[in-house]
Amino acid sequence: MYRPRTRAFGAAAAAFALCAALAGCSQGASAAGDGKVVLRFTWWGNADRAARTEKAVAAFEKAHPNVDIRTSYSPYEAYKQKLATQAAGGDAPDIVQLDYRQISQYAGSGILLDLAEQRKALPTGQMDKSLLRTGQFEGKQYAIPMGVGTQALAYDKEAWREAGVPPPRPGWTWDDLESVLREVKREHDSPVMTDPGSMEDWFEVWLRSRGKRLYDENGQVAFSEDDLTRYWTYTSKLRKEGLVSPAEGTTQLDGSVENSPMGRKKAMAEFNWDAPSAGFESVYGDRLALAPMPAGENGTMGQYYKPSMLIGISAKSSHPREAARFIDFLLNSDKAADILTVDRGTPVNNRQRERMLPNLTGFQKAVADLQKSLEGKLKAPPTAPPRGDNALQSVFQKDYDQVAFEKASPRRMAQQFLTEARAELRP
Amino acid sequence: MSAHATASPPSGRDVPPARRARGRVDWPRVALHAGCLAALIVLLYPLAWLVATSFKPADEVLSSLALLPSRLATENYSTAADGIEGVSLLQLFGNSLTISLGAVLGNVLSCSLAAYAFARLRFRLRGPLFAFMIATIMLPHHAVLIPQYIVFNQLGMVNTFWPMVLPKFLATDAFFVFLMVQFMRGLPRELDEAAKIDGCGPFRTFARIVLPLTRPALITTAIFTFIWTWNDFFTQLIYLFEPGKYTLTLALRTFVDTSSQSAYGPMFAMSVIALLPIVLFFLAFQRLLVEGMANSGLKG
Amino acid sequence: MPPTPTTSPAAAAAPGADGAGAAAGRPRAGGPGRRLGRSGGRPPRREPQGPAWIFLSPWVLGAAVLTLLPMAVSLYLSFTDYNLFDPPSWIGLRNYVQMFTEDPRLLRSVGNTLLYVLVAVPLQLALALAAAVALKSMRRGKDFYRSAFYAPSLLGASMSIALVWRALFNDGGTVDNFLSTFGVHTGGWVNRPGWALLTVALLTVWQFGAPMVIFLAGLQQIPGELYEAAAVDGAGRWRQFASITLPMLSPVLFFNLVLQTIQAFQVFTPAFAVSGGRGGPADSTLFYTLYLYDRGFTASHMGYASAMAWMLLLAIGIVTAVLFRTSRSWVFYANEEGH
Repeated sequence: MYRPRTRAFGAAAAAFALCAALAGCSQGASAAGDGKVVLRFTWWGNADRAARTEKAVAAFEKAHPNVDIRTSYSPYEAYKQKLATQAAGGDAPDIVQLDYRQISQYAGSGILLDLAEQRKALPTGQMDKSLLRTGQFEGKQYAIPMGVGTQALAYDKEAWREAGVPPPRPGWTWDDLESVLREVKREHDSPVMTDPGSMEDWFEVWLRSRGKRLYDENGQVAFSEDDLTRYWTYTSKLRKEGLVSPAEGTTQLDGSVENSPMGRKKAMAEFNWDAPSAGFESVYGDRLALAPMPAGENGTMGQYYKPSMLIGISAKSSHPREAARFIDFLLNSDKAADILTVDRGTPVNNRQRERMLPNLTGFQKAVADLQKSLEGKLKAPPTAPPRGDNALQSVFQKDYDQVAFEKASPRRMAQQFLTEARAELRP
Repeated sequence: MSAHATASPPSGRDVPPARRARGRVDWPRVALHAGCLAALIVLLYPLAWLVATSFKPADEVLSSLALLPSRLATENYSTAADGIEGVSLLQLFGNSLTISLGAVLGNVLSCSLAAYAFARLRFRLRGPLFAFMIATIMLPHHAVLIPQYIVFNQLGMVNTFWPMVLPKFLATDAFFVFLMVQFMRGLPRELDEAAKIDGCGPFRTFARIVLPLTRPALITTAIFTFIWTWNDFFTQLIYLFEPGKYTLTLALRTFVDTSSQSAYGPMFAMSVIALLPIVLFFLAFQRLLVEGMANSGLKG
Repeated sequence: MPPTPTTSPAAAAAPGADGAGAAAGRPRAGGPGRRLGRSGGRPPRREPQGPAWIFLSPWVLGAAVLTLLPMAVSLYLSFTDYNLFDPPSWIGLRNYVQMFTEDPRLLRSVGNTLLYVLVAVPLQLALALAAAVALKSMRRGKDFYRSAFYAPSLLGASMSIALVWRALFNDGGTVDNFLSTFGVHTGGWVNRPGWALLTVALLTVWQFGAPMVIFLAGLQQIPGELYEAAAVDGAGRWRQFASITLPMLSPVLFFNLVLQTIQAFQVFTPAFAVSGGRGGPADSTLFYTLYLYDRGFTASHMGYASAMAWMLLLAIGIVTAVLFRTSRSWVFYANEEGH
C-alpha cells in the first residue's frame, strides 16, 4: 500500500506546485500593450454622474493621448465594500473617490498617497484651507474634497404655508423646531418630519450647536452618555407626540427616497444633505424647499460645510503623476467644471465656484442659495472622523431603533452605544 | 380531506378507474383541485405583481393599490433596455450568460469526475475524503470569502469571470458531487462488472457506461448551477468592478442607488427580464427531466 | 432553494445511509446489506489507485486551494484583530471572549436565527409534505401543479424576488391593503419587530416546492400494495398516513430536514433585502450571517467575523450531529426493516 500513497502525495504536491506557479505569474496590469499609461478610477454614484464623469474622462484622454483611464462605478454601499476588498488585496485602483468617513481608515493604513509628493501636478492654491483640512490625516494631505455640501432641512413649503408657518431662517433653534412641528401638525394632523433620532449626522449637528463635538483629536468619543440620552429623549418626545415619524417608518431609512418617510409622503420634512435632497423633487416638485438646520439656544450653528466626497491616489499606483494630473483636471480646469457642474457638490476650487453659481437654476440654485445664506456663520468642519466611525453610524441607527420601538430607554441605549463605540475605537 | 375521502383509496394511481362510480361528481377530487388552484393563485401572486408593476407608470409603482396598471407603460422596459451607462442590456445579458454557462460546464465536468471516483472507485482515504466533501456542503461561504479573494487576487483573476467559473471546474459545489455520488450508487453494479469483463478500464467505463446513465443527474446539476449562478449577487459584486463586466444582477442593483433617486419601475422591469431566462430554462428542461427520470430505468 | 434531486428518488432516500454516516465521522459504519446494489459483503479487492486520483484531481485541487487553505487562514484570522488593511495582529482568544461576554447584538442574532429555523423549517416541510400527498393522489394536472408549485423555489433566491417581497409586505403594500379590507390594519410587516422575521420566514415557506418534489419522488417509491392491504384491514386515511406514509417516507423527511435546517442557518439574501442589510427593525431580522457580514464588511472586523464563521460552522456541525443521532429512533430504512 505504500506505492499508491506516494502517488497520492505526488498528486497533491503537484496541485500545490501548480497553484504556486500560477500565483507567481500574476502581474498587475498597469501599462497597456501599446505603451499607454493605464489608470483605474472608481467612484460611487448614479447613471447621470457616470455620464458626466465619462465625458470628463474622454476630454482628459483627448488632451493626454498617452493616458488610458479605465473607470468603474457602483452605488455607495456596494462601492464601499468593493473598495475595501480591493484595498485588502493590495489592489486599490489608482484613483479613488472617498467619503469623509473613509479618510482615516485609508490614510492610516497606508493605502493613500501623500499628495504633497505631487504638489506640482496637483496645485491646491485655489481651494479653501479649512475644507482642505478635511482630507488630512495626522497633518498630511491624503485626499482633496471634490465638492461641498451642508446639512439642511428639506421640507414641503406648501405644507408650511398652509399651516401659516414662516420658512425657517438661519439661527432658528431646536426649541423652535419643536413648536414649528406642533403648528404644522395642528394643520395637517399627521407626523410632520422624519424622526431625526436615528442618524448620527443630525446628532452631530445637535452636539455642535451645544458647543460639543463627536470625536476629540485622538479619535475618541468626545460626548457623554448624558448628551446622547438628552438627544434621544428630545427626539423621543417629538415621536411620542406624533410630531415625527413613528418607529415603523424611521427604521427603513437607508438614504433612498423610497425608504424615507418623507419620500413615502408619510412626513413633510426631513433632515438631509443639501444636494442629495434633490431626490425628493420627484415626489414634491417645486414644493420642495431647503432650510438651515436648527441652532443652539445661544445661536451657535451646528451645521458645517462638509466635503460631499473626496478624491485620492493609491499609494501603490505606478503612475502617481498622471493620476495627480487627472485630479487637477477634474477639480481645477474650466473644461471639466463645465461638464461636471455641481454634480458632486459645489466646487471647492474658488474660481470654478464663482463660475458655476450664477448659472444654476431650479433646485441646484436652492442649494447654492442655502449655502450662501450660511456664509460666514458656520464653524470650521471637524477633521476626518476616526476609522470605526463608519461602523458606528449603523450602530447608532440600530441602537435608536431599540429606543424608537420602546424596547429600551434612551439612557440604556446611550450607555450601550458608548460601550460599543469605545470597543470600536479601541486603539 | 373530507370524511368521504376515507371511502376512496388514498392512492389514485393504484386504482383502476373502473372501480369508480360513473356519472357522479367526485367531490373530494373537485375540492382537491380547487385547493390546488387556490394555492397556485396565492403562490404565483408575487410574480404576477412583479410583472404588473413593471408595466406601471412611475407615479403608480409605489402608490397604486390596484394590481393592474392603469395603462400599459412600456417606458420602464425601454429604460431597462438602455442598460446601465454605456453597457447595453444585451451585454449585461451576455455577461450573465457567459458566467452561468461556464459554471454549468465546470460543474458538470468536475463533479461527475469526482463523483465517479467516490461512487465507484476504491482508493485510500476515501472515507475521510468523502466525509470532508459532505462537510463542505455545510460550510458557510463567509468562512472562506476573504482568504479566497486573496488567492484570486494573487492569481490576477480579480475583475474577470474566473472567480465565478474556475471554482466550478474544481468541483467546489460539493452538493452536486454528493448528488451524483448518490445517483451513481443507484446504478446497477452489474453494468460496471460487465464492462470490466469486456475489458473496459475505469475511464472507458466512466465515459461509455456511467456518464450516459447519469444524464438525469447531470441535467439536474446543469439546471441548478445555471440558476444559482444567474441569481448570484454576492460573489459578482465582490469580483466584478467595471460596468463592462457587470451582470444583470449587478445592473439591477445600480437601480437602487441609495444616494440618489431610485427608479423602482425600471428596476422591476429589469427584474422581469432577469427572471425570464430562468423561467424559460426551467420550462424547457422540465420535460427532459421527466423523460430522463422515465428512461433512466433506475426504479427497477 | 434546495437543490432537488427530482430525478433520483434513490438519491433522495440514500443519504440517510451513506452521507449520514460519513458526516458523523463514521464512514464505514453502515452495516452489511444496508445498501442496495453494493458489493458490501465481498472482501475488498486490490485495485489500482491511480485512476481514482486522476478522476479526483480537480476536486482535490479545489478542496485544497479554495476550501482547506482559506479555512485555515480564516481560523488563523479568528485569533487576530484584522481590519482588512493593516496586517493582522494576534490577540489570542479575545474575539471569542468578546462574542460571549460583550456583544448583546450577537446573542440577539443567535436568538433570531434559532427562532427563524424553528418557524420556517417545520412550516415549509409540513406544507411540502401536505402538497406532495395531495398531488400524489391526483390523476390529472399532477405534473402541472408539481412544476408550478416548484417554480418559486427557483426564483426565490434572486434579489428581485426579495425586493418584491419587501414591497408586498410593506406599509401600504398588497398584504397590508388586503388585510385592511378585513379591518386588520397591520401598517406593514417588514417594518415591525416580530412581524419582519415572519416575512422572511414566509419567503422561505413560499419555496416549499423543492422539498415537495423530493417528498413526491419518495412517495412514488412506496408500494401501492401496502395501502391496499391497509385498506382491506379497515385502516382509515389518517391511519394509513401515520402508519405507512410517514414511516416509509422518513428517510426522505430526514434528508429534507437536514438540508433545510442547514440552509436556514445560513439564510442571508431575503433578510438582507427585507431589512436593507441592517437586520432591522430593532434587530428583529438580524440573523447570524447578516451580523457576520455586518461585522466583517461594514465594520471591517474580519478577525471577529472569522471567529463568528467558525462558531457558525461548529453550531451547524453540532445540530447536524444531533439530528443524525435522533434519526436512529425515527428514521426507518425499508431494506433494513425487511430482515
